Amino acid sequence: MKVKTLYMLTLALLLMAAGAQAQMPHDVIYMPKNTSCLALTYGHSSWDEYWENTLKRENLNIGTHTTQMAMAMAAVGITDRLNVIASVPYIWTQTSAGNLMGLKGFQDASAWIKYKAFDKKGLSLHGVVGGSIPLTNYVPEFLPMSIGLQARTATGRIIANYSHSPTGLYLTGHGSYSWRSNIYVDRDSYLAGDRMHNTDEVQIPNAIDLGARVGILKSKWQTEVFVERFACVDGDNIRRNDMPFPTNKMEMTTVGWYGKVQPRNIGVNARVGYVVEGLNVGQSLSYSVGFLYQFNY
Amino acid sequence: MKTNTFLPSYKVLLVGLLAFIITSCDKTIQEPIIPAYSPSNVDANAGIWKTYVLTSPAEVDVPAPSATNSAEYQAELSSLKQISSALTPDQKQKVEYWGAGAVYRWNEIARELAARYNLPPAAGPDGKYPLPDAANPLADPKFPFANPPYTARAMAYLSVAQYDALVTAWHYKYKYNRMSPAQAESSIKAALPVSGIPTYPSEDAVVAAASFNVLKAMFPGEVPYLEAKMKEHQESRLWAGMNVQSDLAAGAVLGTAVAAKVMGRAKTDGMSSSNNQSMTAGMIENAKKLGVTEPWVSQESPARPPMLPTYGLVTPWNFDKATVAKLRPEAPPAVGSAEFNKALDELKSIQKNQTREQARIANFWSDGVGSYTPPGHWLRTAANAAHDARYSEVRMARTLALVSTALMDAGICCWDVKFWWYYPRPQQYGLKTTVGTPNFPSYTSGHSTFSAAAAEVLGHIFPAQAKKFADMALEASNSRMYGLIHYRFDCEAGLKCGKNIGSYAVTRAKADGADQ
Repeated sequence: MKVKTLYMLTLALLLMAAGAQAQMPHDVIYMPKNTSCLALTYGHSSWDEYWENTLKRENLNIGTHTTQMAMAMAAVGITDRLNVIASVPYIWTQTSAGNLMGLKGFQDASAWIKYKAFDKKGLSLHGVVGGSIPLTNYVPEFLPMSIGLQARTATGRIIANYSHSPTGLYLTGHGSYSWRSNIYVDRDSYLAGDRMHNTDEVQIPNAIDLGARVGILKSKWQTEVFVERFACVDGDNIRRNDMPFPTNKMEMTTVGWYGKVQPRNIGVNARVGYVVEGLNVGQSLSYSVGFLYQFNY
Repeated sequence: MKTNTFLPSYKVLLVGLLAFIITSCDKTIQEPIIPAYSPSNVDANAGIWKTYVLTSPAEVDVPAPSATNSAEYQAELSSLKQISSALTPDQKQKVEYWGAGAVYRWNEIARELAARYNLPPAAGPDGKYPLPDAANPLADPKFPFANPPYTARAMAYLSVAQYDALVTAWHYKYKYNRMSPAQAESSIKAALPVSGIPTYPSEDAVVAAASFNVLKAMFPGEVPYLEAKMKEHQESRLWAGMNVQSDLAAGAVLGTAVAAKVMGRAKTDGMSSSNNQSMTAGMIENAKKLGVTEPWVSQESPARPPMLPTYGLVTPWNFDKATVAKLRPEAPPAVGSAEFNKALDELKSIQKNQTREQARIANFWSDGVGSYTPPGHWLRTAANAAHDARYSEVRMARTLALVSTALMDAGICCWDVKFWWYYPRPQQYGLKTTVGTPNFPSYTSGHSTFSAAAAEVLGHIFPAQAKKFADMALEASNSRMYGLIHYRFDCEAGLKCGKNIGSYAVTRAKADGADQ
């Protein structure tokens, strides 16, 4: 019995971690033209309690559920205000109790285009479009051990930012809508919304994510705190003492800290996040550390 | 200026692109459409087929209908004409839904209920597992916990009630020979194929009432839902112009009466004492005496009492209780023996290198928590095969009764074996699982027993597809090794037992009058 945290976690990590010039799909930092950043990130996320529908519970047949991730991510400065970001994660799962077998594999490749549409007196507006596609035929229906949901996604995002250049203080907010494709599972029937579906096709709910962050960005370092909200726009709840399923309506609010030091071409970043509230997800504590390298050419 | 007429205009392209984007974003799931049909054979002699619980159709009396030239019947016809002449889209949709088949749909409804109720109770704060309470079915934990033995039994009683009721209905249909409303009054346009089977009493009303009365006992928390389904089913026959009210009323009385007799058997089949946990200590002693040095222990935390340890004592359908022990397989290998180690090593090797295809098979057949269980899986297969063969309602019911009684028999025999040997699960030797570990002893595999029994029956009914069903049973059996919860010897012995168990239903099928 478990929760779909995996996907959420991965998503969160994908969205948050990595990037030399701190370059991420949700920030307003751009690789200048003719530069690129490569980030190698390790992520770790675990929970021992989850929300079964709204009921917060432990599960002695899971103990602590852990998802780990190794990810390569590249951000390329096409122009000073247009960047392309791509990433490939490898994920593995395990539990500390019970006998559910952990799964592992390459999950979903994602790519983003980020464009600075407006920038005046410290105020800027950015548009981001991105998508992801499963890299391997991993099993999506063995939650919470599955490494992902197998859905193809397309995301549109708007980011607004105010930066105070003398101090480096900034305030960023973003909102996104992700369209997520239906998937095909191995079984040819499943219950969703208390109705039996006699098919192997499964509807994956679309999702929104919102974020607000405040921090300081200097040329060699960055620190910020953030709050993020991920929510499926529909879906069903985990039934009493049931296993989770890809149709579940997952929601989570995460608070955390992110920081980066990059004195020269080489840098490191780190992120910590904690889920303070959720629905059909695990209450995970996650951290990640990344090694950053900037290429100039 | 000359335009190239072979190329669509940009507007057309734009509309096309827009349509493409919109259809790509359409996430509506297309489930298989189950069409209505006119049966390939009306089975006019089904009134003499052998019933399960009833001794003969005469046990339930159905009065003669009013004559077709009576004012009463003519009034029914003109009322029907009015009801069926202008349908709302919702009514049309319901007509089509029920048009797929009365037995077909009620079997599907029962499978859905089984899946919805297939949830093991959660442990309480004291580490104990509360028992579902039939008197309070919607409390936590909900009653029933529709696990595979429970579901096998619920489906068997459902199918038997439908079958006995339909045999009775067929008896009276061909006794009274009342033609269909559309044949009696040409201005009535039936929305579904008219078969020529006499319509009094209505087979749909018979099946709806029989099903309702079985399912309300099996799923007591769903009475309002089932009532609504029954009402909708009956009304759909009026909307479709297929039955007059008196066809439906007589069918409902008949279905209810037969279901009551069938549920009389259910009350005394031993199910109420199938969860006798006080007997497990003796069972463990017995297994130790038989040489099982490390008996099964629950792999759940906290330890959960085993699922229905005395289900093996429930009364079977196609043979007597004494036969259950005779159908037991040979002894499993001694724990730690070379044969045991070989089987365990095979699982360890699968655990290390489970292929995607093995995972697919394990998932496809897992039929675990929240599913309609292996019996439901096989009944879906059976119903689809009978639908493809355009079986009449009574032959469809016979098919599902043969399969579901064999499935219940398989459950009884398999549970008898499981608690006879009390054999340890591979998880007691460090194996993980990708499908979840069932909470009862390992030997023999329930999936294998259920599947081989169902495949044996289906292979008899649909001989051209016998190999396909046997292959499916083998795959279902293998799936439990791929999912790491059964040794090969569990699966092989289960298949063998299942085939034997199924052969009893086949013997019945050969002599029930349906193939003469």
